[in-house]
Amino acid sequence: MATYAEPAGGAAVGVKPRRAPWAKRIAWRILGAIFVLWAAATFVFFVQQLLPGSQATLILNQQTGNQQSYTAEQLAPTEAKYGLDQPVLTQYWDYIKGLSHGDLGNSYSQFKPVTEIIGEQVGPTLVLTITALIVAWILALGTILLTSRRRKSVSTLGSGWEIFSAGLPYYWLGVILLVVFSIELKIFPVQGGTSIEGLVLPALTLAIPLAGFIGQVTRDEFEKVLDQPFVTSARARGMGDLAVRLKHVLRHSVLPAITLSGWAMGALISGAVIVENVFARPGIGNMIVGAAEHRDVPLVSGVVMLVAFIYVISNILVDIAYAIVDPRLRG
Amino acid sequence: MSATPDISRPGAPGGTPGSARSGIAIPEWVRSIRPGVALAGLVVAFFVVAMIVPSLLTGQDPYAVNLEQTLQSPSWSHIMGTDQSGRDLYARIVYGARESLLIGLGATALGMGVAIALGVLAGLGNKWVDGIISRGVEVMFAFPILLLALLFVAVFGPSVTTEIVAVGLGTAPGYARMVRGQVLAVRDSGYVEAARALGHPYGSIVRRHIFPNAMRPLVVVMTLGVGQSIVWASGIAFLGLGVPPPSPEWGALLNAGRNYITQAWWLEVMPGVAIVLFSLSLTTLGRHLQQRLEGGVNR
Amino acid sequence: MGPKMNRKDKNLSSPSPARAPKRALHPRASLRALRAHFAVFAAVAMASLLAVGLSACGGSSATGAGGGATDGSGNGAVPGSTDTAVNVVGTEGATAPTGTPKSGGTINYAHEMETPCLTGGWIQEAYIERQYADSLVSMTKGGKIVPWLATSWKTSPDHLTWTFNLKPGVKFTNGEPLDAQAVVDNFYAWLNPETINPTVQTYIGEYFKSAKVVNDTTFQLTLSKPYAPLLPVISQGYFGILSPSTYKGGAEAVCNEPIGSGPFIVDKWTHGQNITFSRNDDYNSAPQNAVHQGPAYAEKLIWSYVNDPTTRYGSLTTGQSNVIYDVPGPDWATAQNEFEVQQYITPGRPDTLDLNTINGPFKDQKVREAFAYGADREAAVASAFEGKTPYNGNGALSQTTPNFNPDLEDTWPYNPEKAEQLLDQAGWKKNGDGVREKDGKPLDILLIYGANSIITNEGATVLQDLQAQWKEIGFNVTLKPLAFAELFAAEYTKPTSYDATIGYWTSPTAGVMLITWRPWDGKEPNSYNSPFYNDPHLIDLIEKGNASFTEAEKDKYYGEAQEIVTKEKAAVVGVYTQETTLAVEPNLKGVWLEASQGEPVFADAYFEDQS
Repeated sequence: MATYAEPAGGAAVGVKPRRAPWAKRIAWRILGAIFVLWAAATFVFFVQQLLPGSQATLILNQQTGNQQSYTAEQLAPTEAKYGLDQPVLTQYWDYIKGLSHGDLGNSYSQFKPVTEIIGEQVGPTLVLTITALIVAWILALGTILLTSRRRKSVSTLGSGWEIFSAGLPYYWLGVILLVVFSIELKIFPVQGGTSIEGLVLPALTLAIPLAGFIGQVTRDEFEKVLDQPFVTSARARGMGDLAVRLKHVLRHSVLPAITLSGWAMGALISGAVIVENVFARPGIGNMIVGAAEHRDVPLVSGVVMLVAFIYVISNILVDIAYAIVDPRLRG
Repeated sequence: MSATPDISRPGAPGGTPGSARSGIAIPEWVRSIRPGVALAGLVVAFFVVAMIVPSLLTGQDPYAVNLEQTLQSPSWSHIMGTDQSGRDLYARIVYGARESLLIGLGATALGMGVAIALGVLAGLGNKWVDGIISRGVEVMFAFPILLLALLFVAVFGPSVTTEIVAVGLGTAPGYARMVRGQVLAVRDSGYVEAARALGHPYGSIVRRHIFPNAMRPLVVVMTLGVGQSIVWASGIAFLGLGVPPPSPEWGALLNAGRNYITQAWWLEVMPGVAIVLFSLSLTTLGRHLQQRLEGGVNR
Repeated sequence: MGPKMNRKDKNLSSPSPARAPKRALHPRASLRALRAHFAVFAAVAMASLLAVGLSACGGSSATGAGGGATDGSGNGAVPGSTDTAVNVVGTEGATAPTGTPKSGGTINYAHEMETPCLTGGWIQEAYIERQYADSLVSMTKGGKIVPWLATSWKTSPDHLTWTFNLKPGVKFTNGEPLDAQAVVDNFYAWLNPETINPTVQTYIGEYFKSAKVVNDTTFQLTLSKPYAPLLPVISQGYFGILSPSTYKGGAEAVCNEPIGSGPFIVDKWTHGQNITFSRNDDYNSAPQNAVHQGPAYAEKLIWSYVNDPTTRYGSLTTGQSNVIYDVPGPDWATAQNEFEVQQYITPGRPDTLDLNTINGPFKDQKVREAFAYGADREAAVASAFEGKTPYNGNGALSQTTPNFNPDLEDTWPYNPEKAEQLLDQAGWKKNGDGVREKDGKPLDILLIYGANSIITNEGATVLQDLQAQWKEIGFNVTLKPLAFAELFAAEYTKPTSYDATIGYWTSPTAGVMLITWRPWDGKEPNSYNSPFYNDPHLIDLIEKGNASFTEAEKDKYYGEAQEIVTKEKAAVVGVYTQETTLAVEPNLKGVWLEASQGEPVFADAYFEDQS
């Protein structure tokens, strides 16, 4: 993090050294992050208190495959085991305490700690979403660089494609890609698992609509920047068109899209739920659907915490990226 | 309206010969509509009619089961084919528009409502209020729409209301941030300072200047938002968490059509086309609106 | 948090007119953007119209409602005293290989739903248990019982004591000996609340008295009353013998790391993905009706979970899986041409409509009968399953169950006029909306069902088809699919919870009727009595059937019991049967479905061409 330039001029004279305000910002960020995590945990805990029906009955039944109701005495051992007989606030306090130690509790539907379950499944989802984000960026930037402000037809095509692809629902695109490329043409495996070939279609399914969205936002900005005087002067100095686009324009125009990327991680995870479902891929997306279906409260809470955590980290990374890309903001 | 030569059209400072000659008063906003926009308008109108008076668009009953006619490919009697219970797919899509649009509109309205409340408060409030609300919005951001929807469906059961609330709350933080930004921009603009210097009371400034100016660009966002809400709601139904059968809601159609995709592709493709077309049309209209609202001068 | 707002918001447009001269969007950009819209529109609209037009003009009519059931490969005699032409395929239909099959290879099997554990009361857990554990006896296609871990058995004249001799020299895969003590431990563990197997409990809970070791290879079972179905019952996968050390590990070990003596060993279970099994090279305890004795041919078995039917079938057609479970209805016809398709119609209670006999409109028997007459269940099943799954008119038992009463198959044929008559007689008159009313209340029927967990997509289609038909005669049926959690939280088990539901209970014996008809309330409430029909005479008949050791007696008692619930009381209305279907690629031979529950057996499977 020691790559910041000297203070851009304009600050008051005789100010304190650069490092302090920067450290303070980081400290605030972390505090904010913790707040978000705590609030998310609290929300998801209390929402699930509203779940109808007896949790202990569900736990017993789903492990045994029965669909019967039990008497209070039959339920007592299960309730004791999972702490369900405690008052709500006690359960909440235990939960938060556990969270601070990194203990997410034990799953109701699998006989394992939640951290273990999530640990097994989070890898593929992260691989999928990050790959999708990268691919989306490449697609978006490629389209813009090549089609922005060129001949009318080319540029129209680029813009039109972005608009169209941004509106494609993940599930629809995924099913169509699956049937066409996996089942009919047999180019990619149907059951992707964790292989690279199995990653292509799911990542594309997530990336294409996102690329459309990023593309639209960046294109607007790109074209505005292309009009700026400093671009004209760069061109006057003899820089090639592509070079101008790459070196100067892109840098300024990607800022809104960088902001978008932070939000995009959250949206990608939502999309991952669907994509993992369509392509039968392992990951937390599939897992959370199952967890919600089984009302596995600790597991659902665990996934929510994980997603909140990813979101918070992404945002911090976005801030850093922002600061690096835009020299004007380092002040 | 008198027939004024239209001096706003590019490259035609004196108005086109056509308009001068015919003498018919065509309002400028009509003339500004490009063919693409017109088409988009037609599509949206089609679906709005489908939502309000579906029987106008199809004579078939979307719930009428006919076991002799299951899985028929598109033909003149069933222009989009039939599903696994012999129901006409086109009719189901038309009637499904009602549920899907309802969810989309409801979710957007809810999301916007929440967003405006939060955003205005945050934008106009002092540092603490802003800080707290912004943190709250951060938390909302940490819940992706689908996660929220899963939670709500697990707790409250699948229904139209649950979908509206889930999608609405899921999209709210994005709008809230925008609203706040808009409000801040207006608040800090020299215009407001000037108004205050002139002695206008703060309340009226908010009402007459900050609010409308901050909201104007959001109209566009809302049109885009309805499309997005429908896509998300359909996603929820696609996972099987949506409205119970035999509802022809588009997401439910996609969920059912999945099983027949190799045998009866139209069941999966057509509802998807409907969603995409509708979403696309809304985007087009939205951008057109954006054009119109951004500048008095439309080029 | 996050970067300053303004920068991003500038994208939307600056709202205030007093700012520095507003930069309108570059005219060309906006024009281009709008032209882009037009272009895209034209393209999409054209494409859609073209698609519709092409298919309309050139389209052939798709497969409509199919005819009756398609035969799977092979035929089989039906267990029991009847001769309905349905298949129990696979078992000894798997031809013994000529020569010795080559050893090696990995079987990729795509299953459907993942179960919470590897052992337990779910039928799908029995399927899994079949791979790593052996049971005491095995049931053959004809309903006969043949030796497995138990080489011979005898019962006392009063049928209360059963003595079993075990095959010597069998070991669990962890080295522990499978002797009489181990078996006795299993019986107690199954009924112990800590490690309970609820299906075992439901079958023999009220019959079991004690089990004891006679010598190393002999054990004795003592019952509290005679139980004729004992042998078929213990042939099921739920009664697989596990190592005592598994039970010592508690419920967790039983669930996640069970150890048996079977042809495969559980290597690793990756939740949401698959279970990996490896071959038990020392396997020497195959049942008598296995195709070969000795270890499995394949080295590994990968049991994957692919819930989506299209993806699952696609994994077979693309070669990623060698064999799949539950061939989807839409692909049933094509699968017969390309793959070896096996179908097992599961005995026991079929998928039947349960009508709430003590609360709501169905309290009145006439209304129940009208409901049964009022929709064409046979046609709906044929249409929705596209010929795969057979219709089962007998509401009490599936057509492949021993002592099945075939006369009840057409108890309530489709007859809407009769249905309307009955409703009129019962005082329900049609109102302006076409819904019947009585005393101001409409004929609303709430039909609940477990979506995706109990009832498949095709089953849901059947219900929707029937719903439309019932509407025509005035029933206002609301379908309510229950999510997994709603179903298993037992929230919908009270008489006020529903008017009708649909479900099944698989079993190799007609004795299952005791499970499904025991009184629903009282000291030990029985949630499986979904119609809430308590009838001591009925229970008496079933118990007599359970204590009968001749076919004639069983037919008599079980037959009468079936008639009461299906015909006399119309408490259950039959729709279709459960089944196990497999589609196997041509290169993989020797896969078969065993007869008690349709468990897939891979111990005899081998790859013909191992390249």
